[in-house]
Amino acid sequence: MTSDEQLILDLQQGSDGAFTELFLRYHERVYAFFRRRINDAAQAEELSQETFLAVLRAATKYEPRATFRAYLFGIAFNILAAHRRKSASASLSSTSTPDEVSAPSGTDPATVMYVRQAVERLEASEREVLLLREFEELSYDEIAKILHAPVNTVRSRLFRARMALREILTTAPGNFGGRK
Amino acid sequence: MTASTHPFAPEDVMAYLDGELSANRASGVVAHLRECAECAALAEHLRDVSNQLVNWSVEPAPATLGKSLDAVRKDRALSKAEKPKGFGAWLDGKFAPLKHRWVLGVSGVAAVALLVLFLAHTNLRRTSEVHQFTAAKSQYEELLARREAANMASSLETNAPAPPPSASTGSAAVSTDDQVAPLNGRNLTEFTRLQVVAQLHTAPMIARTASVSLIAKDFGSVEASVKAIVLRHNGYIASLNSTAPQDAARTLNATLQIPSAQLETAITELKQLGRVEQESQSGDEVTKEFDDRAARLKNSRATEQRLLDLLRDRTGKLSDILAAEQEIARVRGDIEQMEADQRALQTRVDYAAVQLSVQEEYKASLQGAPPSTLTRLRNAAVEGFRAAIASVLDLGVWALRSVPTLLLWGLALFFPARWIWKRRRAAASQS
Repeated sequence: MTSDEQLILDLQQGSDGAFTELFLRYHERVYAFFRRRINDAAQAEELSQETFLAVLRAATKYEPRATFRAYLFGIAFNILAAHRRKSASASLSSTSTPDEVSAPSGTDPATVMYVRQAVERLEASEREVLLLREFEELSYDEIAKILHAPVNTVRSRLFRARMALREILTTAPGNFGGRK
Repeated sequence: MTASTHPFAPEDVMAYLDGELSANRASGVVAHLRECAECAALAEHLRDVSNQLVNWSVEPAPATLGKSLDAVRKDRALSKAEKPKGFGAWLDGKFAPLKHRWVLGVSGVAAVALLVLFLAHTNLRRTSEVHQFTAAKSQYEELLARREAANMASSLETNAPAPPPSASTGSAAVSTDDQVAPLNGRNLTEFTRLQVVAQLHTAPMIARTASVSLIAKDFGSVEASVKAIVLRHNGYIASLNSTAPQDAARTLNATLQIPSAQLETAITELKQLGRVEQESQSGDEVTKEFDDRAARLKNSRATEQRLLDLLRDRTGKLSDILAAEQEIARVRGDIEQMEADQRALQTRVDYAAVQLSVQEEYKASLQGAPPSTLTRLRNAAVEGFRAAIASVLDLGVWALRSVPTLLLWGLALFFPARWIWKRRRAAASQS
């Protein structure tokens, strides 16, 4: 299996198939990245498309010093930041609740809502570190580069986020069916 | 959990679970977790949080995401493949919405037509302004000429009492103060003059100066020619100094004030009076200075008017009235000073100062024929007599100066010398 980094290098050489492969590998995760941070599914789709177009446009600028995953989510994070600047109400920090919670089949929408609301209660800087670690599976160092923060700060924020989330989840009423 | 009781910080436990610790440190944490129930519980809590977060899954990405992205990519690929290069391509790219070229052509023709109309309108307006400006300028120059004539007339009648305003006769009568009487049916008031001056200021105000040095062969006619040139150009001589030393070339130094518009012509005529040895011209732009003074003058006049209104409309204590009148007097003094400065500045602009220096072409005088023998003998006799007289006079002077000293020392030395002489003669007689 060709690595992500090799695919992006192939894309630099003009390989159309390389981009298709990268898209197939990551479009779900990119969409999920935006979907967890934006209530509007259409906007999440639009931003996902914008992210891949940015990858396509900036492929020549990629240098194999970081993983493609970190590179991709770095672009997604920048696009998200620009979107938040344009529309603060679209961000997770909004106090408005989503009109509709869409969950994949086989998943309890109440569980999704419960976890989501718990995460939303976290402090913004800690929440972002937690999401990048838990869902985008980025390393501390990669998160630090994306957020332009020291690695130790990232580690501290992540620890505080996890402990705070645990506190929220354990003290909340027991309507969380997925808890162990 | 503290460092004193646990060799690892809680963040280390978390980092171990995240795979962020080095192998050595990770093995240490593993060993500690086996022994420390508290840290093991923490690790369990952290795992529990991660496991709970897994439940936050989102719906799959819509199929339209891939399709729309494909469409965009195809557009990009197509445009990249078929995209012609050069200016035409750039133009097509910029005006992509205009798919029909005739629309672009019609738009271009319309833009050019609008541009031509705009330029024609601007030129017409500028031509009209130039005509107005020229008319105002000639009107102003006529006013200045008449005022100058009036000033000259009044200077001739300085001893005579000033005629009352009603004494002005004829339509060409001009008063000598700043108020301008009707001129040929046109009443160009001071306000109009300022307007004309303001229009004149659309061009920069230049105070011009020039310097000309000449060497003239026919020096005798230079002064008269200079005066004729100045008179012909409606200028005047600010100063004139002529020197005629006995054994040197004669010189003439003059400061001429020539109307700026006629400066070049006047200098050309002056240069014909002799050979040009040096010539220079310079200009000092005083537009900003003039405008600044005009603005200050306007403000001071407004201040004076406000003070006058205040004094007329308000009643107050005597001290306040006196203070207001003092302020009015001060402002009036400032206004008059500024008006004088303004007039002087205007004069500097209207009249160019020409420093003229004319030197007679020096001709070394030829020596005459040597004097005759008789003359030489006569001159020698006269000089000998003069020398004899001079020597006698010198002897007399020496005597008058030295005799008192000689007498003093003679008296002082006479008696000792006489005593010594007697002693020696007595000794000789005894022997």
